[in-house]
Amino acid sequence: MDVILRVKNLKKSYGKIFALKGIDFDVFKGEIFALIGPNGAGKSTALRIIATLLSADEGTIEFMGYDARREPERVRENISYLPEEAGAYRNLTGIDYLRFMANFYARDERELEEFVKRGEEISGLGVRLKDKVGSYSKGMVRKLLLARTLMIKPKLAILDEPTSGLDVINSLEIREIIKDFVKEGVSVLLSSHNMLEIEFLSDRVAIIDNGRILETGTPEELKDKYSSKNLEEVFRRIVTYEKVS
Amino acid sequence: MKKFLNLLKKEIKELVTFQLIASLLFTLVLFYFIGNIARSEMGKVQGVKHISVLDLDQSDLSGEILRNLAFANFKIDLLEANNKEIAIEKMRRQNIPLLLVIPDGFAGSVSSFRPKEIETYVLVRSFSMGSSINSELVNQIIVSINSYLSDSILKNKIPDINPSVLKNPIKNKSFILVKDKIAEGSIRDVNNFVTSQTIFIPIILMMILVYSSQMVLSAIAMEKQDKTLETLLTVPISRNHIVIAKMLASGLIGLISAGIYMVGFRFYMGGFMGNIPTEGQVGDVIEKLGLRFTPNTYIFLGISLFLAILCALALATILGVLSEDLKSAQSASFPLVFLVLIPYFLTMLSDMNTLSLPLKIIVLAIPFTYPFLSAQNLMLGNYSMVLYGILYMLVVFMVLVFIAGRIFSTDKVLTMKLRFGRRVIR
Repeated sequence: MDVILRVKNLKKSYGKIFALKGIDFDVFKGEIFALIGPNGAGKSTALRIIATLLSADEGTIEFMGYDARREPERVRENISYLPEEAGAYRNLTGIDYLRFMANFYARDERELEEFVKRGEEISGLGVRLKDKVGSYSKGMVRKLLLARTLMIKPKLAILDEPTSGLDVINSLEIREIIKDFVKEGVSVLLSSHNMLEIEFLSDRVAIIDNGRILETGTPEELKDKYSSKNLEEVFRRIVTYEKVS
Repeated sequence: MKKFLNLLKKEIKELVTFQLIASLLFTLVLFYFIGNIARSEMGKVQGVKHISVLDLDQSDLSGEILRNLAFANFKIDLLEANNKEIAIEKMRRQNIPLLLVIPDGFAGSVSSFRPKEIETYVLVRSFSMGSSINSELVNQIIVSINSYLSDSILKNKIPDINPSVLKNPIKNKSFILVKDKIAEGSIRDVNNFVTSQTIFIPIILMMILVYSSQMVLSAIAMEKQDKTLETLLTVPISRNHIVIAKMLASGLIGLISAGIYMVGFRFYMGGFMGNIPTEGQVGDVIEKLGLRFTPNTYIFLGISLFLAILCALALATILGVLSEDLKSAQSASFPLVFLVLIPYFLTMLSDMNTLSLPLKIIVLAIPFTYPFLSAQNLMLGNYSMVLYGILYMLVVFMVLVFIAGRIFSTDKVLTMKLRFGRRVIR
C-alpha cells in the first residue's frame, strides 16, 4: 500500500514536559489510522505537529513526499485539520463559513461551488446553513466543522477527537460521515479516547501513552495478540503492562 | 491575492457587527443632540437678552448707561418701583433673570468723585452656561461706561492732554517671531486661531489610534477565544497575509469608526465653540508668519499619521497574540492606550521644549508622539523634526512587524500567553 504520511522519531517538549518522546508511524492511502490513548498521552500534540501548527524538536514528517518542516505550505494545501476544540466564526452564516474556507482550496469558481455543495451535504444542516453560526448548537457547529474539513476532499483529513462533547446521535452521524468519506479515497488520521468509536472507524490503530507508541496494528490483530474482546481491554492490558514493567 | 481578499472580506464581515453599527449611530445621534442643545443655548446668550432696570436716578448719565445696554443687544424693561427691595421681590416673582439698579443721585456722585455703586442682581435658576454669561456681559458694559466717563472727566479737567495717554502712559506693540518671519499682532489671538484650526488633529489621531488598535486586538483575541485560529493557521495562506489582513481590516474599520465619531464630535464641539478670532481678524498676521497648512504640510501630516497607525496596529497585533481571550485583550490594550494618551496630553498641555531631558527622551521614544507634534512642527517650519519622526516610526513599525511575523510563523502564536503580566507556556 502507498504511504501518504510517514512520521519518524517525532519529539516535542513544552519546557520540562516531554509530550512526545520519539514516535514513529505510517498512514496509508485511503485508510483510517487512529491514535488512541489517555488524556495527555501526546495525541493532540502529534496531530498539531503534522497539521503544521507546532514545530517538532526532533524527527521528520514526510507527507506525500514533502518535508513538513521545510515545505509547510505544500502540506497545508493537501491536508484538512479539525482541532478537538474548534469553533467557527460566529458572525458568518454556516454557508458563508463553508464558502470562506473553500475559497482557500478551490482553483476556480466551479470547484468552489463543488466544495460548498459537498459541504452542505456533509453538514446535513439544510436551511440552518443560512443562519449565523452564533445561533448553532454545539452538535451543529461540530457537523459544520467536519463538513468544512471533508468538503475539499483533502489527501489527508486530520481529526482530533471528532465527536468530542457530542451526544450519541450526533456522534453516530459523524462516524458514518467519516466512514463514508474514506470510500472516496481520502485518508484519515484521527485521535480519540473513545475505544468503541475507534473500533468502529479505524483500519489501523496506534496505542500511545506518555509520549510513546506502545503498539500498532489493526483492531483485530491487537485483540488477537492480547486475547481481548475489544480495544478497551487491549488498551487496559497494554497500559497496565507498561506501568508494571 | 484571491485568498488574501477572501480573508480580508471575512475580517471586515467579522468586525462590522450590529453592535458596532448601533453604538456608532447612537454616539453620532447623542453628540448631535448635545451639540444642538449647546448651540441653541449659546444662541440664546448671543441673541437678544432681557434685562430689567430700576433707574432711581433718572439722569443724563443713567440714560447714557441704558443706551449702551441697548447697543449691546439688551432688551431693557424699565421697572416702576420706589426702591430696590420692591424690584428684587418683583424679580423673584416674575423670574426676571437680570436686574440693574442705578441708585438715586448716581450722576451727582460721579461728578463729585464719590460714586455710588450700580448694583446688578442675577436670578439663579440653574447652573447652565447662560446663567453666568449675562452678568459678565453687564460687567463688561460697566467697564466700558467707566472708561467713557473717565475720558470725559479727564477731557474736561485737562483739555490739552489726550485722556488715553493719561490713563495708559506706557504704550506697547506686540510682535511675533516665527523662524525668520516677523509680524505685529497678539500672540493670544494667533494662538487661539491656530488652536481652533488644529484642535481636531490630536483628537482625530488619538481616536484612530485607539480604535484601530482595539479592533485588531479584539480580532486576534476573538480568533483565540472562539477557537478559530488553529483552523485558520492550517489553511494554505501565508501567515504574513493573515497578519496583514487583520491589520488592514481593523485599520479600515477603525478609521471609519473614528471618522464617524469625529463627525459627531464636530457637532458636539460646534455647539460650544465661540470667542475664537476669525481668519479676517488675524489673517494678515497668519499670512506673514506662514502659519498655514499647505499641500506639503498635509502630505507630511498624512505620512506621519499613517505610520503611527501602522505602528499601533503592529503593536496591537503582538498584544493580541499574547492575549488568551477578549477579556485579557482588553487588559492588554491598556499599555497601548497609555502610550497614545501620554503624548496626546503632553502635547496639548505642555511645550515639549520645556520638558526635562529624561522626560523628553521617554516621550520621544514613544512613536505616537511624532504625529501629535507634526501639525505644530510643520506650521513652525520644523521639518527636520517631522522627518526624524517619520523615519523613527518607520523603523519601529518594521521591528514590530518583524516580531509579529515571527510570532505568527512559530508555535508562539498558540503557546504564548499573557496572564496578569506573566508569560505562560502551555
